[in-house]
Amino acid sequence: MSSRAELLPPGAGEAWAAEWARLTAFAYRNLIMARRNVFFVFELTFWPGVAMLSHGLLTRFLDLTPQMTAFILVGTVALSAVQVCQLDVAYAVLFDIWSKSMKHQFLTPVRIHHLAVGSWLVGVGRGVIVWALMALIGGRAFGFDFLGPGPLRVGLFLLGCFLTALVIGLLVCALVLLFGTRAETSAWAAVNFFVMLGGIYYPVSVLPGWVQVISAGIPLTYFLDGIRAGYGFPSQFAYPFATGFALTLLYAVLAHWALAAAVTRSRRTGLLLKLSE
Amino acid sequence: MPASPLAVEARDLAKTFRSGWLRRRETAALRGASLQVPRGAIYGLLGPNGAGKTTLLSILATLLLPDSGSATILGHDVVREAFAIRRRLNMASGNASFVWSLRPAEVLAFYGRLYGLHGRVLKRRVSELLERFELVPHLKTEYNELSTGLKQRLALAKALLNDPEVLFLDEPTLGLDPDVSVRIRAQIAELRRERNTTIILTTHYMREAEELCDRIAFIKGGRILAEGSADELKRQIRIGDVISLRLDPAVPAGLADLPGVLAMQTRGDRIDCTVDASDKRLPDVLKWLCDQGVLVRDCQVREPDLEEVFVELSR
Repeated sequence: MSSRAELLPPGAGEAWAAEWARLTAFAYRNLIMARRNVFFVFELTFWPGVAMLSHGLLTRFLDLTPQMTAFILVGTVALSAVQVCQLDVAYAVLFDIWSKSMKHQFLTPVRIHHLAVGSWLVGVGRGVIVWALMALIGGRAFGFDFLGPGPLRVGLFLLGCFLTALVIGLLVCALVLLFGTRAETSAWAAVNFFVMLGGIYYPVSVLPGWVQVISAGIPLTYFLDGIRAGYGFPSQFAYPFATGFALTLLYAVLAHWALAAAVTRSRRTGLLLKLSE
Repeated sequence: MPASPLAVEARDLAKTFRSGWLRRRETAALRGASLQVPRGAIYGLLGPNGAGKTTLLSILATLLLPDSGSATILGHDVVREAFAIRRRLNMASGNASFVWSLRPAEVLAFYGRLYGLHGRVLKRRVSELLERFELVPHLKTEYNELSTGLKQRLALAKALLNDPEVLFLDEPTLGLDPDVSVRIRAQIAELRRERNTTIILTTHYMREAEELCDRIAFIKGGRILAEGSADELKRQIRIGDVISLRLDPAVPAGLADLPGVLAMQTRGDRIDCTVDASDKRLPDVLKWLCDQGVLVRDCQVREPDLEEVFVELSR
């Protein structure tokens, strides 16, 4: 049998390796689940494909210019990429909710960043697949050039989308740990709410004044503005990407804190145990 | 500083669960529970449903925060130093569940990673546990398709991933076939013998507690009512000795009214007659039966078993 010292080595190098093992644990599980469940194939191909085709056909019907088509389809891509990526983060908790195994992961020396980073990395991978698939369909069917704004701008846009997904995913995890299974639907609803406020298919200037104030606090507003500027639309903000990333960083810290607080609260109320029964 | 001889120490732990938004309901699960468990001991928590056993175990395992009181595991406070001690403890429940689509090796590999195991060490540990708990023939079976016994074995295997110094077992043989229960009990005993693991277990099965535990605490209504070894408890409770008789005729009237007879119970063709002290009462009982013309076909004197202590304490 393995010795205790072998299993829990004290060395600094080993500490890094152990940290890496914890970071990749959720990635390992999400990848297995993604491989084994047909539902995940739908998430990755069917819904994004349907969204791209239906919105692309709508732009045809409305006889939109290539520039306006790009405006709409960028929103479609943003919604799908953020949705798929944030679901992976939320799965870090949802898989355990569904299988009533929540307590086991919090019995281990796992911290919030382990849970978040590992699952997010798989989400980024799946988000890139969604983006590539939508770019392919959009390009072939509607002549839409996703790389038109340049690789740097596209890269920043996708990174912004994925970081937004991380924040939303962490908030969904916090909600589930605060309110239990009743909050499960937030995993699918939250993204739609934020992209609506962020100007998914329209500039935020068309929103009522007070809603625009809220939109100004949503990072996705800036990432959409930044990528659309690459298609020739005048930017509404001075430094859209920089502002978006600064806001995302702030929200990531807050979401991390919120999830840690939710875990502590669930240990106090006993919800952590109820979610395991 | 020398290591404390105690693996677990709890003082006046209290926990009340609150539910409902408008009409707040409060359920006091623990009302000042204290215990001390030496390193390497197997400690049993016995009590009826809702006694607070699982709540106490969950607080000690850092899954639940107490309202008041304090507890340490291997010298670390379970509230303030929860992260530090999680590397050194683990837990398995009788009703454990894991992600349904994962296979046994994947379940172990996932939790092994969370304990920081990696590379060859992780691979070897997973293989060792799969072999030890005879899960190798079920490597391709997803968790939700495993039998209850196999699920339970996997839960125990998961609980040993980090070779814990303190192991919490919540009803480890709940709902299992007798032969599987026997094997699991043997594995628990082996664990203490080979690894000097401190084990705290809750159980409904008195035989299990009597067979495995060095010390036992009876818990009811969130309080520990009695604590000690099985023999100490039997003496502490003072529920008397049992004179078990096979008589002809079976149940003579008036036996229950003899001095020193505390209770009488018919079990099949026998009468269990609980007396305050068998050495003092046995001659009187036999003489009385003889006077009544009752034929004594068999007579055995025994101490009460743990189940009788449990029933007495649960009243």
